[in-house]
Amino acid sequence: MSYAIETFGITKNYGNGRGCHDVTLRIPAGEAFGFLGPNGAGKSTIVKMLVGLTTPTDGKALLFGHPAGSVEARRRIGYLPELFRYPGWLSGEEAMHFHAKLCGMKGADAKRRIDRLLDEVGIGKRGSDRIKGYSKGMQQRLGLACALLTDPDIVFLDEPASALDPVGRHEVRELLQRLRKEGKTIFLNSHLLEDVEFLCDHVALLNNGRIMADGRVSDVLRASSSWRFRVGGMTPELLDWLRETMIVPVDLVPWEGEEALAWGEHWLEAELEGDEQVGYMNRLLIEHGVTLYETQKVKSSLDEWFLQAVSGLEHRGENR
Amino acid sequence: MIAVWMLTWKELLRKKVTLMTLLLTVLFWIAFYFIAKSAGATAAQSESGIISLNDLVERFRGSAILLWIGFFFGAFATGFLSIFSSVAAVAGEAEHGVLQSVLARPIPRTHWYLGRWLGFVTFCLAYALLLFVSILIIVIYATGVHPDWSGLVPAFMLFISPVLIMVTLTMLASCWLAPLGNGVAMVMLFGMGWLGTMLDKVIAARMFTTDDASTTSDTLEIVSGLIRLIIPTDALQQRMLSELFRVDELGETFSSRDSLGYFSVVNPPSDAFLYYTAVYFLIFLAAGLFAIRRKDF
Repeated sequence: MSYAIETFGITKNYGNGRGCHDVTLRIPAGEAFGFLGPNGAGKSTIVKMLVGLTTPTDGKALLFGHPAGSVEARRRIGYLPELFRYPGWLSGEEAMHFHAKLCGMKGADAKRRIDRLLDEVGIGKRGSDRIKGYSKGMQQRLGLACALLTDPDIVFLDEPASALDPVGRHEVRELLQRLRKEGKTIFLNSHLLEDVEFLCDHVALLNNGRIMADGRVSDVLRASSSWRFRVGGMTPELLDWLRETMIVPVDLVPWEGEEALAWGEHWLEAELEGDEQVGYMNRLLIEHGVTLYETQKVKSSLDEWFLQAVSGLEHRGENR
Repeated sequence: MIAVWMLTWKELLRKKVTLMTLLLTVLFWIAFYFIAKSAGATAAQSESGIISLNDLVERFRGSAILLWIGFFFGAFATGFLSIFSSVAAVAGEAEHGVLQSVLARPIPRTHWYLGRWLGFVTFCLAYALLLFVSILIIVIYATGVHPDWSGLVPAFMLFISPVLIMVTLTMLASCWLAPLGNGVAMVMLFGMGWLGTMLDKVIAARMFTTDDASTTSDTLEIVSGLIRLIIPTDALQQRMLSELFRVDELGETFSSRDSLGYFSVVNPPSDAFLYYTAVYFLIFLAAGLFAIRRKDF
């Protein structure tokens, strides 16, 4: 398997306890990787080391086998920084042309690519306006267009949708999804876990500069084994009997929906392993005269995973 | 590198600093023209058909004083333009988030740094050329005294050398200092150069007449020499004026110190000092290239 990004014990020590420590990652080419963590966890530090803005104190990182930060490595990346600004005295097109020249793109090819990207990110004809007149969202779109300028193999995106409205977020999501389908490797730093969940194959959680957890998104979401049953005619005695019979936690849970439940209806939640247990519980409920309206798996989200993983941990971003 | 160079020109042309500099320069030209005209009229009034040696000396004196005044402003304007155009080159742009996306591009950082340096230097040189030529034209027009043409090229090279030094120092310091701190530090450093020349004038005027006058002069000479070594810009300006006036060739006909007073050229630096300045400049340029390669953003 070829890896787009490999880090081997990469460490950055700023001397004040910040930075990151001994981070090892292997991201296969063509994967979308979500990098999560509380504020100040060290996510941006790692991205900066990968794109060559910061030199590691220890360890090394490779992008398609080239040392991170080398000109060869930078030739294959696109980067959207978290806190960035393009000079306000340039127009969007001029900023793009400047970046194109830095990448060795010239003439009609560069112009075609720039026009197409400006259209794709929703800037269009406003590309000829000075950037100082752009909203934050427009600047974010321009940053994204610039990151994609060279049709890079790896795209590093640090909070790409943070300044966008819901429509913009949706457009960016679609654009990233298309890039993923084109086989680009995407490294996504985002607080919008919904976006990570939608786009990424793999996630890692960083806290205080160390990787606390990582895994495939599908595995993380499958980890939950809660099921809910909408039932009618439930009694306390029957609930106790169910708990004893199933030998798993079974509870009545408060209804959170908009429409009130009909009289006598309840939601039951049970921790069940596998479809056989779910089927067995369905059968028991029906056999004991309970009306079973609906059965559904409780879908866990990355938010829950994230909160669970960082709960109880000290976050230096908040305490220092 | 050329793309960065061109972008720097575009930046300087579009920012208000260029407009303001040009407006103030026009004001200077107007004021300087009237001063020069008035000095030229004074010289003309002393004419009585045949130009006597005294008249010639008087004209030369007027021209030398005008050039001194003109180039004092010239050095001041080019020095400050050099400082304030490049003051935010590295740390300032990084703070604003402009640099991060640029330095992630596949160009060596040293090329970016040199592109910026060339942009600032060539822009300030173009302005310096404009000032140099305009000052000469106004003085020649007003007084009728032509400087020694053979000295013009060396004088121009010396006039622009502070631009190279101040842009180099300011960009190097901008690797660590935020724009405000860098601007203050560089203006103070540049001002220190003037202090060195002032001390030379104090020594030359023998202002200390106490018993310990020679000791005081020795101390002042050491301080002035050290200042010149730390910041050679104003010493180069003195050498430039001496190249332009060619005072040494006038011999006993014209005593610069007695005739020009405060406007005399005192202790112009030697050729060895010019070599020192070249090495000084190269070391700081290399230091800047080294610093940008090592800097974390």
